[in-house]
Amino acid sequence: MDRSYKELLKLRRFPHTWCPGCGIGAVLKNVAMVIKELGWNDKNTVAVSGIGCSGRMSGYMNLDAVHTPHGRPLTAAEAIKTVRPDLNVVVLSGDGDLGSIGGNHLLHTSRRNPDITVFCNDNEIYGLTGGQAGPTTPKGTKTLTSPRGEPHLPLRLGRILTQQPPYFYARTTVYHLNHFKTCIREALLWKGFSFVDIISDCIELNGRRLGFKTAYQMFKWFDERFHIVEGERDHLREDELGIAKAVTEEVPQPVEKVEVKPEIPMENLKPFTLEELQQFDGKGGKPIYIAFKGKVYDLSASPLFQGEKRMRCHIAGKDLTKDIDMAPHGEDLIIKFPLVGRMNLNNK
Amino acid sequence: MKRLVSGNEAIFQGAIRAGAGYFAGYPISPTSEILQQAALYSEENSEFRFLQAEDEIAAAIATISASLAGAKAFTATSGPGFTLMQEALGWGHVVEAPCVFVNSMRVGPSTGMPTQPAQSDLLQIKAGSAGDYYPIAFYPNSVEECFRLTATSFNAAEESLSPVILLADAFLSHLYEMVDLESLKVEIVPRAKEPLGSGQRLFTGTAHDKMGNVKTSDPVIYREWLGELKDRHGRVADKYPLFEYLPCKNSETLLIAFGITSRIISSLKDRFSIFRPIRIYPVLEKELKEVTQSYRHIIVVEGSDGQYASWVECAICRKVMKVPCLGGGFKLKWIQSQIEECLKGARS
Repeated sequence: MDRSYKELLKLRRFPHTWCPGCGIGAVLKNVAMVIKELGWNDKNTVAVSGIGCSGRMSGYMNLDAVHTPHGRPLTAAEAIKTVRPDLNVVVLSGDGDLGSIGGNHLLHTSRRNPDITVFCNDNEIYGLTGGQAGPTTPKGTKTLTSPRGEPHLPLRLGRILTQQPPYFYARTTVYHLNHFKTCIREALLWKGFSFVDIISDCIELNGRRLGFKTAYQMFKWFDERFHIVEGERDHLREDELGIAKAVTEEVPQPVEKVEVKPEIPMENLKPFTLEELQQFDGKGGKPIYIAFKGKVYDLSASPLFQGEKRMRCHIAGKDLTKDIDMAPHGEDLIIKFPLVGRMNLNNK
Repeated sequence: MKRLVSGNEAIFQGAIRAGAGYFAGYPISPTSEILQQAALYSEENSEFRFLQAEDEIAAAIATISASLAGAKAFTATSGPGFTLMQEALGWGHVVEAPCVFVNSMRVGPSTGMPTQPAQSDLLQIKAGSAGDYYPIAFYPNSVEECFRLTATSFNAAEESLSPVILLADAFLSHLYEMVDLESLKVEIVPRAKEPLGSGQRLFTGTAHDKMGNVKTSDPVIYREWLGELKDRHGRVADKYPLFEYLPCKNSETLLIAFGITSRIISSLKDRFSIFRPIRIYPVLEKELKEVTQSYRHIIVVEGSDGQYASWVECAICRKVMKVPCLGGGFKLKWIQSQIEECLKGARS
């Protein structure tokens, strides 16, 4: 096995601060492995992290690392990328840091779409402070601050981050190792804001309270809760692991002007009197004609004039010029229908 | 060429002259013009980067991160925004990020009186963030000085490796004066700190030793670090003992005023001596002691309820009289009557 990724880790600072069985070690190791595989190094890569157990990751990497105040790694990463576009900026943080105290920055940094990659160690708990409910804690989970079960629904990071293209959101777990590495690699190579939501375990301060004896039991639980979906996806359901990505939608073209039909000289049109017009009320298979601003239109094709269900205000065989003011639509809805004649008012 | 320049514009141009390459901000009266100018300038100069952040927290964090990434960075705000920036201000002192925070003061607390000037954020520059730190702050009183002191602030920031605060007030921000900015000569200290991507350092807000290793339970290392910070800031502050002293031969009374109040009471210079501190913090202890010893009465005229007066009392170990101009009321007539009342009270 290639162990060269260890060059990226500050082994002199080991043993690390995390509990035995914690998933953060796996996050750190696999991110380091993929960064090494891509050939990135301390000259072109910067790690940024926030506060929490996961926030300590950047300090264990042999890179220039920025350890921000609680919740601010995204802003810091964006600013660094703005000033130094040549650097690869990697954010290593947790769900509480990114989703709760840094929630505003998550919304706006993802909106501005800087080319940074975010690895979120999503363990559904505030581990460093002892096991309080976090933004992603599932409803009903018992924690130190929700002794009767978390009363509120969790934040769905996947929904927030895939609201409009461009986006890259991957969900994986520390248990599904090959999938995990694929997600890391694809996210690092994605041009733009990419977010990897890594479902991770906190056995000591969450798992045991939930009844798990070992981290492995939690991993099996992840395997039951989630399944991997293949292929390109727009969105991921809450039980799916995979990559949802989309590039920028084409910029919507300005609405084209309604094509103006060539003007037909009024004299060439067939003249109608009001009595004649009333004949064409759609009954007995006859076409539906209405008059509008002195012109007669054939509205037979209009869905609003069909059969018994036709709207009360749409009366066939009448002059509806005055009714347009009360209508919820404009003239354009009428004049797109075939022009069949003109009103002959002199004859009346 | 001389032209009409506002305080806000002079601050922005001063920053550009000092070599600023990054601005992050959030709209707030009375410094929105600085934000607008930065936006405009960044469109015309691609090497200057600009971020309109989602809030002042992000603006301040981005400023410090951009500074770590190698750009001379600054931000501008007012009292309520400065309150949000306190987190980053503390962080900036620990990670040694040279940058400039412009705070144009308005009446507080909270939203207060957004368009009215005040001088009531002095305690906030010193004690807004948690823990001990030693900021350096300057306070100009003319448009030309806004330009010069912005450059000085950048220099002090580069030398002290910390955020430096440039104070102003709503009057000064919107004060227009005839100035020839282009012909003003200022000295510039270049960036010496290595930018991100050139080592394996850890920039952390957590207590750490010189190697960047996190040490959260060692008082010796903490004291060493804080002592060094204090020494460094003391040395830099001593380089800029800026003040203005206008002695009046026959006066037994010394007026102490700064910023906009010093402009307003300048017409009293034939009746009273006037001392104007320009380096607001650290307090000009030595200079104040020297100047004040020959006066019977000392009156501090300021736009807060005795914030600077309390510092003066500490510095010279003597009671002083106060004329607090509150709620944006800076009328000379009223100030004069208050001074007379103070003196009447002191004589009786």
